[in-house]
Amino acid sequence: MTVQLASILGLWGSYLPSFMRGLVITMEITGLGLAVAVVLGAILAGFKLSKFKALRVIATVYVDIIRSIPVLVLLFLAYYGLGQLGLTLSGIASATAALGAFYAALLCEIFRGGVQGVERGQREAADALGLGRVSGFVRVILPQAVLRILPPSTNQLSNIIKDSSLVVTIGVADLMARSYEASATTFEPMDMFVLAGLIYMALYLVIARAIGRWELNVQRRRG
Amino acid sequence: MSSDVVVELDGVRKCFGPRVIFDDVSLSVHRSEVVAVIGPSGAGKSTLIRCINQLNTFEKGVIRVLGHEVYGTEEGRPPLRRDDLRRLRTEIGMVFQTFNLFPHLSVMKNVMLAPQRVKGRSEAEAAAQAQELLEMIGLSHRKDAYPRQLSGGEQQRVAICRALAMEPEVMLFDEPTSMLDPELVGEVLAAIRRLAVDGMTMILVTHEMMFAKEIADTVVVVADGGIAEMGPAKEVLSTPKTERARSFLERVLLHTGGDTGPQAAASEGGFDAASGGFDDPTLSWSREVDEKGLR
Amino acid sequence: MSAITLYTGAMLQGAVITLELTAGATVVSLIAGAAGAVGRLYGPRTLKAFIFGYVETIRGLPAILQLFILYFGLTQFGIDVPAYWAAFIWLCLYGTGYAIEIFRAGLQGIPEGQHEATAALGLTRFEAMRRVIIPQAWVAMLPALTNFVVLELKNTTLVYFIGVQDIMFHARLGVSNSGQPLAIYGIAALIYIVLNGTISRVGGILEKRAAIAS
Repeated sequence: MTVQLASILGLWGSYLPSFMRGLVITMEITGLGLAVAVVLGAILAGFKLSKFKALRVIATVYVDIIRSIPVLVLLFLAYYGLGQLGLTLSGIASATAALGAFYAALLCEIFRGGVQGVERGQREAADALGLGRVSGFVRVILPQAVLRILPPSTNQLSNIIKDSSLVVTIGVADLMARSYEASATTFEPMDMFVLAGLIYMALYLVIARAIGRWELNVQRRRG
Repeated sequence: MSSDVVVELDGVRKCFGPRVIFDDVSLSVHRSEVVAVIGPSGAGKSTLIRCINQLNTFEKGVIRVLGHEVYGTEEGRPPLRRDDLRRLRTEIGMVFQTFNLFPHLSVMKNVMLAPQRVKGRSEAEAAAQAQELLEMIGLSHRKDAYPRQLSGGEQQRVAICRALAMEPEVMLFDEPTSMLDPELVGEVLAAIRRLAVDGMTMILVTHEMMFAKEIADTVVVVADGGIAEMGPAKEVLSTPKTERARSFLERVLLHTGGDTGPQAAASEGGFDAASGGFDDPTLSWSREVDEKGLR
Repeated sequence: MSAITLYTGAMLQGAVITLELTAGATVVSLIAGAAGAVGRLYGPRTLKAFIFGYVETIRGLPAILQLFILYFGLTQFGIDVPAYWAAFIWLCLYGTGYAIEIFRAGLQGIPEGQHEATAALGLTRFEAMRRVIIPQAWVAMLPALTNFVVLELKNTTLVYFIGVQDIMFHARLGVSNSGQPLAIYGIAALIYIVLNGTISRVGGILEKRAAIAS
């Protein structure tokens, strides 16, 4: 038993540097995908809350369609499909595009719900005080909406981390791909995948904790 | 335990964690007796009656309901078997502060559910009984409505029917009117009054002092971790003997004095806070509601 | 053009496998998930802790990593499961983790007063669950359950990786044989849009009906 454990730990030790380089790529893809998703999601949410029907329809159609397509299909469309149109994207760029496009649809709904969840009375109070549309939104609505938006967004962030592992299918050397490769060379797939799993879990926990802290801080500052 | 005692508490202590809510509470409720439990909020009035049907457990002492005995968790007795607990509860009807009707069932089905599922009545039997109860309480025209379509007062009257459908030996009321708008209080009190007249044994936690004085045989004042005073309703409410009971009653009546609701107006006219006494409790508004609510 | 028609046909055949896996895993996951949620909420402490750990593991790990652990891990221990069944078992295990969470949230969303009212009336726990708690929780859970089926269906896209011949499997094959990724993955996307759109639509109808009924 101890011999086995020692050999597993030895194996993990020798592959850890490679896995860590993979982790950097995983985080890179996650960060880029999240950035695109937040920006695009905010724009779409703006469309949904707009008074122009055309914009609302565009956002609704986008969200409904994109949400129904598996991320893997989006990834293949970005990586292989766009290449056919002469727009060749790198693996990381494809992943950014696919994750960004998909999670923008989910974040759009979260943002919209968060803004709409702030009572109407708040908007009216801002109007009554003569705050303009923009400063009313930025100073009054948004700070309150943030607290409603954060928890479900954290959830989506963890989903982006997990879905970034799909790049193993297009040959990007992320954490997942490295564990796959290592499992093929060592013939110890269980050990390699478990190590990768632990790292994924740790990454998620660290991020969730950091965001949780921040959330708590914001809440505390506001009493 | 004399033969006509329905509920008996003997040395009951209840704690939440390290905090003792009340201790050494002893009380006997006889058949057809109406007991009103009053006292400041947070004193554990609701907890006290919830111990009787074991929605709350308690630590010390024993509670007897007819043939059933429930011991405190620290009395070293084996816990009540689940079936015995259910049997105990079928003897006791409970009406909650928040009504707790089943929102997915119609008024009729709310009343029929337990007789069918617990007593094994046929649907026809249960329906006939529910119909009768709803007629008695003046709600048979609302039998197909769903709870959320009813006013608070109507919901609470349905909740009373639901409890009565199990033909309980004793009814517990946990502040049945405190969630209601003032104008809806009367109809619920009228329904409870009707039960009292019919001889139902009842334990009622309430803030309606005038109502307590009118229908209760016995008033129990719960304050500061135990029973501060207990005795015939009119005596306790008009000439409380203990300081704790007196100070509570003065505070309550001063507090409601400024209100405009019917019961508040009644207490204003009916109670002289300085001398600590009530005058005639027969109030015109309650008779009015009686006629409106329960024909 | 004919290559695309050919592979579209193949993908539609793959859709049967996709739907088979989705439907089968959904049924198993919902049953196991309901039982798991009851255990998570009302079971003895060790069971609660075990189920909590299970759910967090399933929710914390990338889907594809889970599939690999199951498929390659089993092989490593000399257990040879056909790819189709490995995929099915994984979808069930995965779905159960998520279903437990959905049921738990649904059951916990029912106010305490409802439980108390059933207890005060002397209903058995089983009857209380069946007549009062579950009928209410069901309505509240419907949107989450619709999303759940969509999630399971999307997860089936990963099973081509271990050789199960679903939609993606035929799409990959078609792309490598015809060199038409845009068209073929586009059609695959369309098939998924139709399937998931149908599920969402059915879920929406059920929600409306449930809302009217209560």
